[in-house]
Amino acid sequence: MIEVQGVSKTYNDGTSQAFDALKEVSFCVKKGEMVTLLGVSGSGKSTLLSLLAGLDRPSQGKIVVDGELISKLPDLHASRYRAKGVGIVFQHFNLLESLSVEENVMVPLIHAGISMETLQSRVSKSMELASITHKATQKVKALSGGEKQRCAIARALVHDPALILCDEPTANLDRANSLKFIEILQTLKGLGKTIVVATHDPLFENLSFVDRVIGMESGEIVQ
Amino acid sequence: MRSSPFFHFLLRLLYQQKGKHIGAMVISVLMIFLLSSVLFVSSALQHSMMQTLQGEPDFTVSRVRAGVPAPLPLDWIDEISQLNGVTSVVPRVYGRYYFTPKGDSFLVVGVDMFDEQNIHAISTLLHEVNLQAFLAKPSMFVGEGVKHFLKRHYFSDHFNFKMPNGHFKEVAIVDVLPHNTNLLASNMVLMPLALAQEIFGFSSEEVSDISFNVPNDAEWRTIQNKLQWMFYDVRVVTKKEIKEAYIHLFNYKGGLFLALYLVAMLTFMLILYQRYTMVYTTERKEIGILRAVGWSINDILRLKLYENMTIVGVSFLVGVVLAYGYVFLLDAPLLRQIFLGSGTLLESISFVPYIPFGLLGSLFLMYAVPFLVAVLVPAWRVAVTPPKEAML
Repeated sequence: MIEVQGVSKTYNDGTSQAFDALKEVSFCVKKGEMVTLLGVSGSGKSTLLSLLAGLDRPSQGKIVVDGELISKLPDLHASRYRAKGVGIVFQHFNLLESLSVEENVMVPLIHAGISMETLQSRVSKSMELASITHKATQKVKALSGGEKQRCAIARALVHDPALILCDEPTANLDRANSLKFIEILQTLKGLGKTIVVATHDPLFENLSFVDRVIGMESGEIVQ
Repeated sequence: MRSSPFFHFLLRLLYQQKGKHIGAMVISVLMIFLLSSVLFVSSALQHSMMQTLQGEPDFTVSRVRAGVPAPLPLDWIDEISQLNGVTSVVPRVYGRYYFTPKGDSFLVVGVDMFDEQNIHAISTLLHEVNLQAFLAKPSMFVGEGVKHFLKRHYFSDHFNFKMPNGHFKEVAIVDVLPHNTNLLASNMVLMPLALAQEIFGFSSEEVSDISFNVPNDAEWRTIQNKLQWMFYDVRVVTKKEIKEAYIHLFNYKGGLFLALYLVAMLTFMLILYQRYTMVYTTERKEIGILRAVGWSINDILRLKLYENMTIVGVSFLVGVVLAYGYVFLLDAPLLRQIFLGSGTLLESISFVPYIPFGLLGSLFLMYAVPFLVAVLVPAWRVAVTPPKEAML
């Protein structure tokens, strides 16, 4: 499913302020696996996740997802890849605050070329899976942190992606909401989704349904 | 319908974010309203003038001595009539009667009521007029402005004109000239030629000007030259010159407004550009989020284009409808004074609805194109930056 080979990412490359966020990282994730990238802040987890999401490009190395070389994708193709193949849950949720939950969830499907009926049915299904249906018409800015997180999950699932990427998903949640989120992840794993979670939350360390934990430190894989 | 989710989303976005657009819309509506009002007023005036001038004679000849208008002898009619190509030669007495010195004045027009052309023109204007009764005693037709003015001074059915010999002449008001002629006729008094001669102290052999038609346009220049040779102190005005003078007058006033509008528009667009470039971080983040969930640069630009085209379209429509009501229903208070000047006799002038579609189209382009550029360029600049940076 995912092949990461010798990937490096250097910010401000060629300047005196050059910073190596990732150094020669390599690993594989099989289809349907759930992998946790564990490490402290600044270890390179989020950078790696944004490369997997096609939001950024590596300075060196290659990333192949489902046979597609996403590390070299032109912008338009990278957008299509995100629109069809990946669901992303961001640490700060990154929702459109002025819109309702339902409207936020439908955003990835607007250009999917489907009918309004299909769109509405997919949005309902996704909100149900993320347990946020009861807040469908409420504006996002009025939601609690946990509800915003569930809205972000519903949005990440609405286009039925094979790969789900979560960047510090529980960093802004209390323990109860974090456990609820982990429950949702287990459900998604049961649905056969490939999941990569970048976190420093100890709650993820001993989860029975996590297939692999990849430790990261200073831009390198340590275990 | 393939694109219906897009429009559904667009409408919901516009509705939910209405507060964000309200400022730009209010300023846009105000600017469109102001310029459309100016366009409506100047076009309605030009249109009405042109319509009225169509019925006017091709040539008007008067006499000027040492730069001062002087009466001209009726004999000139015979001499002018002998020119080849000239038709319908009609004498006229035309002048201002001042109600008070330097104060309100009427435009008195005395015409030959037995002339076939004049009878036809008057009966077209006033369908039910009884010419026999009109000619039986000193009578006149008055414009609406004159009628209201005289009524305020307690002259409801007649007026006493003071003549150069110091005597008064009582003239009955027979009828009021139709409302649609108000632009030219609001302060006009129309009476028989002989009565006007008496009021202005002209002899029966003198008139203020002579009008005539020359059906062949190609002959106009020749006729003008011939008149100059025949009479050394003649002043000739053609219908074309009057038309051009009016067009220039209203274009000049409209042009001043246009220049002011362009300055205001430029300022507004700069503010919009600044707002979308620097201040609006929410907008920037929104674009970043849309890009992160799979929208392409084109998708973002399409959304922004439709979003702002809706704002532009609605603002334009509201501005134009408000301007229409202001000019054609309320008769453009304030603006009317700028175009027509102020004066009690001009109060009853109303504008005949006339929509200059070509000018409105140009106005739309002058407003829509800079607006869209001012909004789309910053949106494009954000859309092409990596989504991660835009979301920060």
